[in-house]
Amino acid sequence: MIQHTFGLLVQPSAQWQRIAQLPENSFRTLLLYPWFLAILPAVAWYFGTTHVGWTVAGGDPQYLTAQSARTICILFYLTQIICLSVIGYFIHWMAETYGAESSITKGIIIASLAATPMFIAGLSGFYPILWLDMLIGIFSVCWAVYLIYLGIPILMGIPEERGFLFSSAVMGVALVILICLMAGAVILWDFGAAPAFTDHPS
Amino acid sequence: MSELNAALEHPTYNYKVIRQFAIMTVVWGIVGMLVGVLIAAQLAWPQLNPGVEWLHFGRLRPLHTNAVIFAFGGCALFATSYYVVQRTCQVRLVSDKLAAFTFWGWQAVIVAAAITLPLGYTTSKEYAELEWPIDILIAVVWVVYAIVFFGTVAKRKVHHIYVANWFYGAFIIAVAVLHILNSMEVPVSMTKSYSVYAGTVDAMVQWWYGHNAVGFFLTAGFLGMMYYFVPKQAERPVYSYRLSIVHFWALVAVYIWAGPHHLHYTALPDWAQSLGMVMSLILLAPSWGGMINGMMTLSGAWHKLRTDPILRFLVVSLSFYGMSTFEGPMMSIKTVNALSHYTDWTIGHVHSGALGWVAMISIGSLYHLIPVLFNKERMYSVDLINVHFWMSTIGTVLYIAAMWVNGIMQGLMWRAYNQDGTLTYSFVESVAASHPGYMVRVLGGGIFFAGMLVMAYNVYMTTRRDVAAQPAAVASAA
Repeated sequence: MIQHTFGLLVQPSAQWQRIAQLPENSFRTLLLYPWFLAILPAVAWYFGTTHVGWTVAGGDPQYLTAQSARTICILFYLTQIICLSVIGYFIHWMAETYGAESSITKGIIIASLAATPMFIAGLSGFYPILWLDMLIGIFSVCWAVYLIYLGIPILMGIPEERGFLFSSAVMGVALVILICLMAGAVILWDFGAAPAFTDHPS
Repeated sequence: MSELNAALEHPTYNYKVIRQFAIMTVVWGIVGMLVGVLIAAQLAWPQLNPGVEWLHFGRLRPLHTNAVIFAFGGCALFATSYYVVQRTCQVRLVSDKLAAFTFWGWQAVIVAAAITLPLGYTTSKEYAELEWPIDILIAVVWVVYAIVFFGTVAKRKVHHIYVANWFYGAFIIAVAVLHILNSMEVPVSMTKSYSVYAGTVDAMVQWWYGHNAVGFFLTAGFLGMMYYFVPKQAERPVYSYRLSIVHFWALVAVYIWAGPHHLHYTALPDWAQSLGMVMSLILLAPSWGGMINGMMTLSGAWHKLRTDPILRFLVVSLSFYGMSTFEGPMMSIKTVNALSHYTDWTIGHVHSGALGWVAMISIGSLYHLIPVLFNKERMYSVDLINVHFWMSTIGTVLYIAAMWVNGIMQGLMWRAYNQDGTLTYSFVESVAASHPGYMVRVLGGGIFFAGMLVMAYNVYMTTRRDVAAQPAAVASAA
């Protein structure tokens, strides 16, 4: 599994080809991929926000209390899995429109593998510096988008121009889910998952 | 100019007024977006407020909004509506003189706005800042516009009224009603007036106007554009004509109620706020009806997408339309609004609609329209359209992403409190934390603006009679 992570970062095109040629059984085990990789950002941000802390405009460092950080990071972990599953479902749902063979498993695996750069970028949570993490975040999102555009025609076995439209539709779905995420996070805040701030590390 | 017009005169249709509006769309787009980039830079680097009151953010901001919405968007709507109504009714405009009056009248409104707003003359109503003499001029021009448009529909040679005309017609009527009712004011001098409404009622009327300016000016009108230019460019019929009619009536019926979501947690009665929120949520359905119809119309034109950057503008504009009309209802939920209101999230939302949807569909439509109007086979350079496409997309994405990050961060910082109940952050700390986002916004806006300059060059070269179009590129890279 780890070789896919490095492969997608180093030689994405070849790696997608290799994944496309995996036998059915080993392909299906990739369903576990998001369960493992989503741990990275969740743990990193838990550690970063409770132990390292962050500063705003040169003030004193701020931290989350361990208890609130734990709740938020568990929700964060589950959210990652749920979002990838939903995107994966929609990839499968749209596949027929674009003339591709698909299953829900395949959709979720494509979504999860394409998210690899974002999982890795999540490690920046160990050291929360706002502007740096934002830059890393933007860069990793661009990379993930690139992976989607690259991977969908290869894994779905469809011509590139149709893949372009398919991938654009997937981006549309991803954006809508992002907005659900933003709205959902705000609503959860009101229902008990609010962060509790403190000025000393736990 | 008259020679040029004589050479380009169409035997049946009045193309002259469309040409004028189309060119001014590009001109005002550049002006409005330049002011936008300037004020974005002022927010990132306050030193750019040089102490001259005419260049102060507070005066340039309404100039920016008026220039991009009413000058750029307005000219695009005039141009395309005059084109679509003539082509689909198969008759010439009912009166060339009245059409010319709408052109010169509208330009006079814009110039008056560009002079009075920096001088500080304002009603202080957002998106309705212009003072009463200009308001009267707008009303007159708009009524004449309605006469020209509906007069042309009335003498049509085909029995059916094509759906695009329904959208344009709804936009013209609704904007007339909104403008006249919201601009009821008592003049105290040539340059100052007061609203006839008071207090909360004034606020409610203002946002009934404000949100329907979005709903009818920036949505219904541009959906009219979509329903003509998307099928035209894709060379396919509308996916579902029935859906277009259903979502037209749903949109018209629901939009008008959504205004109160701008006044959540204010003095507005709570039931009115909740009603506004519910209506905003319902609005998702008709909005997505239009998006789905456009997308499905395009989705058989895969093979063209690779070589036709105009089609890409239309696809991406529909994606942004779908995204921002989903975001809007989410933000109208009171719980979400409690965080998002007064933050940059709102500005990001507006621009995903304004840059992504309104500007991109206008640009795509203009690239279709301009060669037709100037008797050319295609635009001067297809490659430059492609360059413009990528600049617009990247610029919009950078802008929205920066505002999302800033908006959520501001919302979180403002409501964060310590265990002892004190606020974690002062307001100015949230401003300082927003600085990187403001810089990314200047970058994104600057790229979008530069794309408009590329367009201006391309349009200029297309209009020149002594320059032939460049050979069409063979399958430019996706």
